[in-house]
Amino acid sequence: MNEAKRKLLSKRYRAEANFKLFGQIAIGLALLFLAVFMYKIFSKGYTAFQKTWIVTEVHYDKELMLIETDNPSLEDLENADYYDIAYKAMTRLDPSLPEEDDRQLIQMVAFTYEQEVKNHLLKNPSLLGKIVPIRLTASDDLDQVHKGNYPRDIPEEDRRVNDYQLKIYDMLNERGDILSKFNLSFFTNPDSREAELAGIASSFMGTVFSILVCLAFSFPIAVLAAIYLEEFAPKNKFTDFIEVNINNLAAVPSIVFGLLGLGVLLAVFNLPRSTPLVGGITLSLMTLPTIIIAARASLKAVPPSIREAALAMGASNMQTTMHHTVPLSMPGTLSGTIIGLAQALGETAPLILIGMVAFVNTIPGTPVDPAASLPVQIYIWSESAERGFVEKVSACIMVLLGFLILMNLAAQIIRHKFERKWN
Amino acid sequence: MTKISAKNVNVFYGSKQALFDVSLDIMDKEVTALIGPSGCGKSTFLRCLNRMNDVIDICKVEGSIKMDELELNSRKLDVVRLRENVGMVFQKPNPFPKTIYENVSYGPTIHGMAQSKSELDQIVEMSLKKAALWEEVKDRLDEIGTGLSGGQQQRLCIARAISVSPEVILMDEPCSALDPIATAQIEELIDDLKKEHTIVIVTHSMSQAARVSQKTGFFHLGKLIEFGDTEKIFKNPDNQQTQDYITGRFG
Repeated sequence: MNEAKRKLLSKRYRAEANFKLFGQIAIGLALLFLAVFMYKIFSKGYTAFQKTWIVTEVHYDKELMLIETDNPSLEDLENADYYDIAYKAMTRLDPSLPEEDDRQLIQMVAFTYEQEVKNHLLKNPSLLGKIVPIRLTASDDLDQVHKGNYPRDIPEEDRRVNDYQLKIYDMLNERGDILSKFNLSFFTNPDSREAELAGIASSFMGTVFSILVCLAFSFPIAVLAAIYLEEFAPKNKFTDFIEVNINNLAAVPSIVFGLLGLGVLLAVFNLPRSTPLVGGITLSLMTLPTIIIAARASLKAVPPSIREAALAMGASNMQTTMHHTVPLSMPGTLSGTIIGLAQALGETAPLILIGMVAFVNTIPGTPVDPAASLPVQIYIWSESAERGFVEKVSACIMVLLGFLILMNLAAQIIRHKFERKWN
Repeated sequence: MTKISAKNVNVFYGSKQALFDVSLDIMDKEVTALIGPSGCGKSTFLRCLNRMNDVIDICKVEGSIKMDELELNSRKLDVVRLRENVGMVFQKPNPFPKTIYENVSYGPTIHGMAQSKSELDQIVEMSLKKAALWEEVKDRLDEIGTGLSGGQQQRLCIARAISVSPEVILMDEPCSALDPIATAQIEELIDDLKKEHTIVIVTHSMSQAARVSQKTGFFHLGKLIEFGDTEKIFKNPDNQQTQDYITGRFG
């Protein structure tokens, strides 16, 4: 081997080594970004899955509750007055406090404390007349204090929790009367102006309904379009034109589809505003090209020998397509559909335009009830100034990411389990 | 007796002409072999006989091809009926990715040939027996057809083709993807099948053509150079080109 050849050879090896190195650096950077992103979200959001309660005692005093009968029925309990006993349950925490400052104690729990007391008694009517411990949802500010998210060293006038409330909190905490447990209401409550009560139930259901509507609209249309274009349509200028435009459609910014939904679905067809029905149809416009492209690709991947085999057996075009080509292309089509839906799941802009950004404090039961959706909920909460919403934003992102990971996993499983290897 | 009679067949792929004035007669219950170098048009001719060229948009066929009294190259022809009568076996085994049973029962099912499940079972069994595959697969009819060996897959495709009792079977290089043992089995099978079917086979192997066929046609550059009894073509061809090809001097 002469010198020039040796040089050339070592140059080739060096080039390959460098290329590998660059590839590894690229992957390393991507993983680093992902790790930082995940760390930020998890470290901020995990506290949202804990909820803080204040334990106090309540006296179910018949007189204060304005119950006159000796043996009150459930209905009587329902109509009784709870304001006084709930108020007293809170002021009991510091009997030395002058009456005009009572609000300071009341502010330490969520404004629903009266309702919580009522629900507690309605669940256990036998407690009437007794003095029993009860746990009340702490206010979001106290919740943040307990989780250590609230700085205690800034001047009192800049704090939403004053020194007196901190003193009471410390006393309760020492007594073990501050409870911290799994935050079920984050999943079962609809949105609320109060961070301690806000949950994702309405936006979660809104998302589920939107995705179902989106699937119901986009899947049949897209699959039929793909089958027709791939198997039946003549190949000419016009079908080329359609193909180009389907690809263009996939690249249209989602906010444009939102404007379309606003201008056509709401303005022309008068569909109900802010509902998953409209949201789903708007999203299906976005998903449509994705599914068409995936379905056509997987139809194309079915080897022509299978079509020829069926045609040579005397199957009609329709039979060849329906008996052989379409079933064989289904795994690819389905995983493409799920990926399209996963994209739609994260869409925010079009939903904001059709009004799914409205504050919804009810849980939708059907696709025509007003609802938000998870990404929009993230948007709404991130706009809120209250500290309690910061962790909720991250928690909501976690739920959305979990949803996405599940869907992508399903797509992967379908692809691997049902995909045929052609020899 | 003549089964298929082709007269002045010209085939065009777009502006490119693939067949020039091909005329030949295929005899009933005989094996006709079509030989020639790659790209000579023998497969194109074969695919005219069951109108498989229809799937190629730019392909245009001119001339007359008559099967019995039926004109095959006619717009009015019902290709579904034609293909029920003219089966085809392809170069690469292409069983459906379904069970062995479904592979064979597909044709009879779509053409409504069986009134009951037991009748269908019978057709499947008979077809597999004729294709000399029954003994090997009778206990695993519900296994996927693509899981068989190459030779078995090709015999499965033959069973599928004969399941609808076609009068004619077209074979497009059926052994080119198979080993010599599987090839020998298929050739034996072809010999059996010609009792009931007319067979047209395209092959690259001259020895195969000599072994299985009664008539041979030699194609070159889209033209039918010589057509006649296999024995004569291989022993004493009229044409110098045929002579050169079968003795391996070109192609």
